Amino acid sequence: MITIINPVSSFHRRFQYLALVSVLLLASCSGLGVKPWQRDIHAQQEMAMDADSLDIAVDAHIYFSKEASSGGQGFAGGGCGCN
Amino acid sequence: MVIEVKESMPDFSISIDNRITRIRFRCMASPCEVLIDSQDLALAHEIAACAVGEATRIEHKFSRYLDGNLIYQINHSPGEFVELDAEADRLIAFAFQCYDLSEGLFDITSGILQKIWRFDGKHPVPTQRQVDELLPFIGLDRISYDKKRLKLPEGMQIDLGGIGKEYAVDQITGLLRNQYKPGILINLGGDIAITGMRQSGEQWFIGIEDPDRSQQASSMLKMRRGAIATSGDANRYILHRGKRYGHILNPKTGWPVEGSPRSVTVGADTCTDAGIIATLAMLQGKYAEEFLERQGLKYHCHR
Amino acid sequence: MQLKRKLTGALSLASCSLLGLPTAQAESQWDIETAVMYYSEKDRVTAIEPILGMKKELSDDEFLKLKFTLDSLTGASASGAVPSTQVQTFSTPSGNDTYVVAANETPLDPTFFDTRAQFSLGWDKPIKRTLRRNLGFNISKEYDFTSIAGNASWTWDTNLRNTSYTIGANIELDWIEPEGGAPLPLSSQDPDSSPPILRDGDSKQKQVYDLLLGVTQIIDRSSLVQFNLSLSLADGYLNDPYKLVSVVDSTAGPNEGEPVDQIYENRPDTRQRSALYSRYKKQLTNRDIFSISYRFMSDDWGIDSHTVDVSYRWRLNNGYFIQPGIRYYEQSAAHFYRYFLLDGDAIPGTVTADYRLGELTTQTIGVKFGYSGNKNNNWSIRLERYTQSGESHPDVAIGQLVNQNLYPDVDATIIQFNYAFLW
Repeated sequence: MITIINPVSSFHRRFQYLALVSVLLLASCSGLGVKPWQRDIHAQQEMAMDADSLDIAVDAHIYFSKEASSGGQGFAGGGCGCN
Repeated sequence: MVIEVKESMPDFSISIDNRITRIRFRCMASPCEVLIDSQDLALAHEIAACAVGEATRIEHKFSRYLDGNLIYQINHSPGEFVELDAEADRLIAFAFQCYDLSEGLFDITSGILQKIWRFDGKHPVPTQRQVDELLPFIGLDRISYDKKRLKLPEGMQIDLGGIGKEYAVDQITGLLRNQYKPGILINLGGDIAITGMRQSGEQWFIGIEDPDRSQQASSMLKMRRGAIATSGDANRYILHRGKRYGHILNPKTGWPVEGSPRSVTVGADTCTDAGIIATLAMLQGKYAEEFLERQGLKYHCHR
Repeated sequence: MQLKRKLTGALSLASCSLLGLPTAQAESQWDIETAVMYYSEKDRVTAIEPILGMKKELSDDEFLKLKFTLDSLTGASASGAVPSTQVQTFSTPSGNDTYVVAANETPLDPTFFDTRAQFSLGWDKPIKRTLRRNLGFNISKEYDFTSIAGNASWTWDTNLRNTSYTIGANIELDWIEPEGGAPLPLSSQDPDSSPPILRDGDSKQKQVYDLLLGVTQIIDRSSLVQFNLSLSLADGYLNDPYKLVSVVDSTAGPNEGEPVDQIYENRPDTRQRSALYSRYKKQLTNRDIFSISYRFMSDDWGIDSHTVDVSYRWRLNNGYFIQPGIRYYEQSAAHFYRYFLLDGDAIPGTVTADYRLGELTTQTIGVKFGYSGNKNNNWSIRLERYTQSGESHPDVAIGQLVNQNLYPDVDATIIQFNYAFLW
């Protein structure tokens, strides 16, 4: 749908608007992202950051008991007397 | 409140024609009818009470032209949260989903544009300044909506007119489908759904009005199931400098959409779906058919 | 503006919930995930860990998650004491028995045996249109250790749900009841004296407070990125009650480097950690998924660590996938870490020889193969090799220690089997 009304002023207004929006987008990074109907890939379970949650839990436990670092992806506490 | 029900329950008439019982009434500023595939008058009275009652209930609850209802309360409490009941909450949540899906084209806050756009053939086209003054008060994302609470900023209003009628059709259809065996067709001002097929196995035939020759069906649509909705109105337009502006307003520009069809009729599983798609098709202007093709639904587009 | 999408799918989902119609989704079921992990270090610890995870949608977007973990551990673990050219005799943690470590062998505590049972509960509920709250509870019990923890976090979606901010806090309370009682820090363990171990009470406690700030950003249709900042404060008894530090003879001669005493370690009683975690995940056009994460952690014990984890999920036909992965980790040593102490020097107030607080690097190389074609029947098997290494022959070694391995490698194999289904 294209609405052409008073082309000069409208173009000018839109350009200003566009410039303002671009600056805001760059500043806030909110230009990143997708529209609601573009979520097909992100809706896949494997694309979630917490996919394979049992693997994450198992790894967290192993590395907690063998290394001095823990947490980051989740809370650092291990609930484990292994370290 | 008994009195209110009496006042609000519009008159209806019942007639039987060609093995079909027809109930007529007026609601939501439109002629409405319920067709029953039966000749049982007692049944027709029961169904009329149910259908007319539900249509009136929804109109009274959600019309923005009535004082004192929930929409009035929301529209007259700027800056304050108004509690929503479960039904209103579902409608508002749905409106937000449609807003998101349509990239903001379907917007229940755009009703205030009707202050300056009157499609009665008498009022002139507003100036760009008038339009610009209203645009800051349009945009559903400016509204605060928590679970079950809604708050409008000063100067904004919501209008569920764009989904209310279709919603009423679906609600009535649901009520009647559960209770009555004969096939029933519900038609609220051109938004139609059926509860099932006719007993004879015949389909329902729906005539689509030609916008240029109202009262005369320009084409025929057969229905077995589901619903249809129509967007567009032959009698609501503005002629301005030789251009004809339809009454569908783009909430982003505040202007009517140029190049949109006279009317779009869409068939879908629910009247609500059909209505949204038809409205969005109108908003697509000259791309209406392209948009409708993509949706994979049955449609009729009149230019 | 032209709408170039097919909207009907999403729209009919929305209208079904408006009209109270049943949507295509089936009635709420339990999502069940099970796993069994087998971990085995060469000549050291072996662990078997079965896990049962259950998840159910209570109402729209409201989830209940339960998790049961059992963890049984057997085998030996390095005690922190250095090897000797002589046979060494140590007291068991209870003080009631002794065990012998052969000459030139790394002293291990051979009596390590423990079973841990853990239960955790999570309740994830939308409280506003764009705000979710997650409440969690965790309880864990093993022979000498009890832990309870509670956490709350809020996730706010904004920018058309493309950006999510999370803030969360966790409080963990731990009770430690070491075998035979907590050893007196820095006191000697001497199997010949009575009692062989001096005690400092039966039960110890610590608290861990965590704060997590996160942002997840969807970049485009196929990629997203996550940043987490986490702060953690542990307060209380942070020692490992079974770890020793050897005190060695420092006089030049045949006995140089031979342990003359074994003392119990002592760590500071607070520890502040902060970590920055970032992860990027992308689905490629062939539908493979690439993931990389990096974590930097730093604490006030002087430990800085870097972790990089990369995986590539390679999609095969018919729902099968194969996912190679590699992880690299390195850390600097805690400032109070010592390979050993020298006899005659003053004993520092805090000291540990626990290999996990020393300078180390680890690598994990693994591959996972599985089937994820059907939500009702998903399985995978994971095989990993984990190696840990440090400085086996540090410059500080003297006398006989020059010829000993003061930081033996850990070499572990991990096998894990996952099975998920709907119930």
